[in-house]
Amino acid sequence: MSFLNFFQWLEATPWSIAMRESEWIFPFVETIHVLALAVMLFPTALMDLRLLGLMMRRESVSSVRNQLMPWIWTGFGTMIVSGVFVLSSHPVKYYNSPFARAKAVLLVLAGLNAMIFELTAGRKVAAWDQGPPPFRIRLTGGISLLVWIAVVAMGRAIAYG
Amino acid sequence: MINFWPGSRPFFEWCERTAIGMAVRDTIWAFPFIETFHLLALAALLGSILLINLRVFGIGMRQFSVPQLARMLEPWILVSIPVLLVSGILMALSEPIKCFESYSFPIKMLFLGIAIVYHFTVQRKLRISEDAPPIRGKLGATLGISLWAIVSVAGRGIPYI
Repeated sequence: MSFLNFFQWLEATPWSIAMRESEWIFPFVETIHVLALAVMLFPTALMDLRLLGLMMRRESVSSVRNQLMPWIWTGFGTMIVSGVFVLSSHPVKYYNSPFARAKAVLLVLAGLNAMIFELTAGRKVAAWDQGPPPFRIRLTGGISLLVWIAVVAMGRAIAYG
Repeated sequence: MINFWPGSRPFFEWCERTAIGMAVRDTIWAFPFIETFHLLALAALLGSILLINLRVFGIGMRQFSVPQLARMLEPWILVSIPVLLVSGILMALSEPIKCFESYSFPIKMLFLGIAIVYHFTVQRKLRISEDAPPIRGKLGATLGISLWAIVSVAGRGIPYI
């Protein structure tokens, strides 16, 4: 089964049809998606800025991380759930949208960036926990910040493309 | 459709003919581009408001005191409010009749006014101390979150109702 088949199948499910026919489900889910953006994106940006050495330099990275991770995961989980709702309202339209595809690629990039970080430098956090972070760490923070801004831009472009 | 203030229609019609309104309307991609800035600033503003006010409840960034957190995040609020206002005015000028016909728009404007006044009178005091009686502090924090959440939700409602 190709991706397209899957999206066509999804579009024909009663679930997807109900999403399209309801007048209030889509705006409701979209509102949740926007509110969760604040819970996820801003703490992520603060974390990235700490990795860049631009904020909270007197706090250790691990302390900032421990304080922000619950926010980031709560927001991210809500984004994923509400995002799946939005996606399943018009699956074939999003499949065909170049901006939705770009957003998917960017989300994978953000995930890989975070995963590589967690599995490598993140494990040796004690070595650079205090003070200005080394170049590699700053690179991770910079990539994350730019990719997430691009994700938001693509999300907005989908509605107009 | 009834309207809160039908007599304001000429003002919205005038907005539609402004050079800025026409430029945004006639420039392809201008609207989603501006909306991306609006959303990024919304994430910074609402994220800051949540981090500060939930900290009043003892939730979130507990390594910082409430005044420390309020001082640290105040620049984000002071930058994001003008970004939201400018991007919001640009978008409203590009489709003022939609705003005029929407219930959400006047509600958003009303609560936006209240939220800004609230921020610069009550909320900003948190930067100096949190010696308000606990109950009052928590009521104030709940009000701070609620006001900006209403502004966000009403904003998302403009295309629908």
